Amino acid sequence: MSAESLSAGRQKAPRLQPDWWRKTLAAVLLGFPLALVITGLFAWAGPGGIAATDKVQFNMWLLTLLWLLGLSLVYLFRSGNQALLWLGGANLLLWPLFLIVRGVMAG
Amino acid sequence: MKVSSDILRVYKALHTWVGIGTGLLLFIGFFAGALTMFKQPLDRWSAPPAQQLAMVKSNELDTLVSGVMQQFPDARQQLVVHLESAEHISAPVEWQSQDEDGGHGPDLDGEHWHATLNAAGEVQAESIRPSMLGDLIDLLHQTAGIPGTVGHEYLGVQILGLAGILYFLALVSGLIILLPTLVKDFFLIRRGKNRKRFWLDAHNVIGITSLPFHLIIAFTVVVFAFHDSFYGSLKAVVYQDTPMFGAPPAAGERPQARSVDQLLPPTELIRRIEQAAPDFKVTELVYMQVESPRPIVRAGIYNPQYLVRGPLTGYVGINPYNGELTMTGMLPGKSNVWSDIVVTFFALHFGSFAGEWVRWVYFLLGLSGAFLFYSGNLLWIESRRKKQKRGQPLPQQARNTRLMAALTIGVSLGSVAGIGFAIAAGKWGHVAAVADINSLYLQVYYLVFLLALTFAFMRGGARAAVPLLWLCALASALIPVTSALAVLMPSTGLWFYNSAATLAVDFTALLLALAFIFAAYRTQRGLQRANADTVWYIEETGHKAEPAGIGAGS
Repeated sequence: MSAESLSAGRQKAPRLQPDWWRKTLAAVLLGFPLALVITGLFAWAGPGGIAATDKVQFNMWLLTLLWLLGLSLVYLFRSGNQALLWLGGANLLLWPLFLIVRGVMAG
Repeated sequence: MKVSSDILRVYKALHTWVGIGTGLLLFIGFFAGALTMFKQPLDRWSAPPAQQLAMVKSNELDTLVSGVMQQFPDARQQLVVHLESAEHISAPVEWQSQDEDGGHGPDLDGEHWHATLNAAGEVQAESIRPSMLGDLIDLLHQTAGIPGTVGHEYLGVQILGLAGILYFLALVSGLIILLPTLVKDFFLIRRGKNRKRFWLDAHNVIGITSLPFHLIIAFTVVVFAFHDSFYGSLKAVVYQDTPMFGAPPAAGERPQARSVDQLLPPTELIRRIEQAAPDFKVTELVYMQVESPRPIVRAGIYNPQYLVRGPLTGYVGINPYNGELTMTGMLPGKSNVWSDIVVTFFALHFGSFAGEWVRWVYFLLGLSGAFLFYSGNLLWIESRRKKQKRGQPLPQQARNTRLMAALTIGVSLGSVAGIGFAIAAGKWGHVAAVADINSLYLQVYYLVFLLALTFAFMRGGARAAVPLLWLCALASALIPVTSALAVLMPSTGLWFYNSAATLAVDFTALLLALAFIFAAYRTQRGLQRANADTVWYIEETGHKAEPAGIGAGS
């Protein structure tokens, strides 16, 4: 366990808070819309566009994978509030962008 | 690789709790899933010979299919045409009476029919109750045996979907906590005095070496359970008015319902499919809703050289009236990058690629996965052990670790024994003229499972482990013993097939029985050496009755 003692001794950074409830809620309630909006951007503006044959199936798998990654990596945030802040901020940033892209491309 | 100790601490806790919360559900899913790799061989093993009708020559197939379509309106909803024969295929064509409840999954109480041509060339149809052993094991795999439905979904599938999410978290967190010592721990199993170290090493080695398989399984399980909701979200937000699954037929050219006497003969359909897919063998045709505006025949096409979407074969659709091919994404040269990627995930879940040897690899991966969850639970119990301090009295082990030991032993060994007895019971039930073999499978499984679980809670994990391992050995052994009895005493009415597939069932069950006997011996030895400050310590009743000190003097 030398790796542990090294990194613990090197810096006295603020400890990682488990904050189970907040982080889990952030990943479930904010992580899903975030995964959805990224998938949406990929669906409209990504290769093949919205009408590519069978791409909808790929998109559904992509949505699932993104959400699962969000759920499993959310505990790396330093605190629950940080998770809420970052995931919420990303949603606020990407949703208007997605709505514009969808509006323009759907014509 | 360096990972901060804070991260390790959080992810260790996460790994522990998602692991202990899902381990036993996943154990059942994995053990039954390993068996579904050989669903067809298990069906062939259990199919009674008495129900077989003669297969027909390919030139008679056209007469048979058109005859059945004319005479049996139910067959127009769905008719399965088998183009290959095997023990579990009772006749060249089969269908079900249509009932109201619909839904997917095996229809246990529906009326089934099969048919062939008699010597005069007329359709000869019979009502049958086919054994659905393979489908039931598949259902156990998908639901972990949790009964009930929610809407038109199985409750068990939804629960395993949730377990799949937690299982994905367990895999990522397990990987993160192993990162600092990954290279050192890789392929290292320390045996010897420290039993916990051995279990931990085995858990880590199996987890790391089969991690890609487990990630795929966790990912696909979540998709299989929740795809309807996910498609719903995509529809609501992303697609809206854009059609998701191809454009619907324009109003003007809407096809109209046709009559069954206009159907192309099956041999013509097969010829057209083989023309489009020359490398593939057509194994079956499933006629679906031939009287509806969207009639389709789904053909199973087999070539182990290709990744396929189904558990066994790839599919291609063909219109039975004009011979037009649909669902051609599977065909070489007709696929696109999106469906290629998606088909890969399906194939990686089902092990349906590269032929038979991959099925064996998946079978072993499934069993080792079950072992991974079993060992995870044992480690959870071990890490909560209250150790006796030098010179201190023996501490009482916590109630939750004792309950978890009983639950782990009861659920895992109970489900294994239940499946084994159910498989063997099919043949004995047939001999005893049990009318409904499929209900018998379910009754035997749940009876054995619940009895084993009750036994484990009554006696505690330590005292239940060895008897239940013997029960698993007995259950597995019954499978080849039943076959051996069929050979030695044909008068019993038991039957035996000597095809490679069914012999492999007997042989594998025999090997499993030996493995359980070995496990029972090892466990017994381990329990005898168990420290007094563990849940595995069995107090000898003779000593317990006498207060310490009195016994020592005599």
